[in-house]
Formats: sequence, structure tokens, C-alpha cells
Amino acid sequence: MQISSEIKNIRIASAEVIDYIKKAKANISKNILFDIKLCVEEAIRNAILHGSKSNAKLPVEISYVIEMDRIKITIRDKGNGFNVSDLPDPTNMKNLYKESGRGVYIMRRLMDSVNYNEKGNCVTMEKKLEG
Amino acid sequence: MNIKIDQKNNVWVCRMNGEIDINTAPQIKKVFDKMLSEKREKILINFEEVSYVDSSGLATLVEMLKNIRSYGGKLKLSSLSSKIRSLFEITKLEKLFDISNDEEEALRSFA
Repeated sequence: MQISSEIKNIRIASAEVIDYIKKAKANISKNILFDIKLCVEEAIRNAILHGSKSNAKLPVEISYVIEMDRIKITIRDKGNGFNVSDLPDPTNMKNLYKESGRGVYIMRRLMDSVNYNEKGNCVTMEKKLEG
Repeated sequence: MNIKIDQKNNVWVCRMNGEIDINTAPQIKKVFDKMLSEKREKILINFEEVSYVDSSGLATLVEMLKNIRSYGGKLKLSSLSSKIRSLFEITKLEKLFDISNDEEEALRSFA
């Protein structure tokens, strides 16, 4: 799936991923769907705001597949990327009152794995769909 | 998203429904900016009908908390679903916010 870098497309894209999972796994728990929806939306939000810098002409690509009871989701933007290791810990007391910087942290806490490519413009997340 | 505001025992009780996310955060911010500009001192947000919060929603709540504390006001939250509460726990925002199990408990704690 490819979307233009507009905020309104975040929900549309996450709904498509969630529908795909529900069709493949009818008994999937609401808690797992909550986590996946949140992490997909955080990753697309970052791609639009930081990767595309809200330039609606730039596309964001989202691919997803279920393999061996795990959902694998990849989100790629056309931006210059970033160094994920530069991100401050948002749970550090000195950062708690900051209004930004929680998206990647939330993704890492809720998904089983979150990996960025070297450039930092493509993230792949995986989560087991049972248990 | 609908936002209803009632006054109970000198507390401004805000009830929202649906999702607090990057789409709805600006609408919520506008409503709360008005209340904060009027220096309302006791505000409770009842999350009973809120099904989802993302990092933009959390950011809006943190901004509100900072603003209300800047003039000595209090912001409390109640009735969070277990998933939303866990989001406050993993982000450690539970350390910043006063979170009650339900509206009545929150109202008592303002007294």
C-alpha cells in the first residue's frame, strides 16, 4: 500500500492492516490489535512528519504480511532518515514533561521487534499474533 | 469526537468519546486551551468512553498538565481502560498524572 504524506491517511492505512489481520485471525485479541494499530500509526506518523516533513507529494509505503503466526509490517518514507540511537529515553525524569519523543519508544515496548535500516527511513516491526 | 463539559462540586468534568490521536488532538487542545485561559483550577477528564490514545494524544495531555500547573490548577484523569492505563504505565506518565479508577473517586480526591 502506498499513501500520500497526509495525516488523514494514517487511520486509513492502519485500518487496512487491522482488517487484514482480522481476516487471517478471526479470534485475535483486542489487546494485540490495539498494540498493532498504535504502533503502525506511530510509525506512519513519524514517516509523514519527520521523513516526508508533511510534504503530501511524497509517498509512504506500507507493506505487511503474516508469516508463521507473526505480523511483519514495514513502513518506508522518502526522507533522509535518522539515527534511532540518538533518541532520548522519554521515560527519563528529565524528559517526562516533553511533549514529543514517545512514538518509537512505544513501538519498541509493544512490538516484539522494531528494526530500522541503516539510513533510518525504513522500519520493520514484528509481533506474534497469539499468546 | 464529542467533548462534554459539566461542573460537579467546583470540578470541571470533561467527557470525551472515541480516539484521542493526531486527528482529534487539535480539537481537544482548542477546548482545553479555552478552559485554561479562563484559569479553571480543577479539571477532571473522564476516559470512560475513550477507546484509544496515541503519542499525539499523550503529548496534548502533558501540555495541558504543564499549563494548568503553571497557575496552580489541578488536572486529574479517571476511568481509563486497562490498555490506555498500561500506556501511561509504560511511558511512565503515571508518575506525572493523578489517575483515579472512576469519576467518583477522582471527585473525592479533589476535595
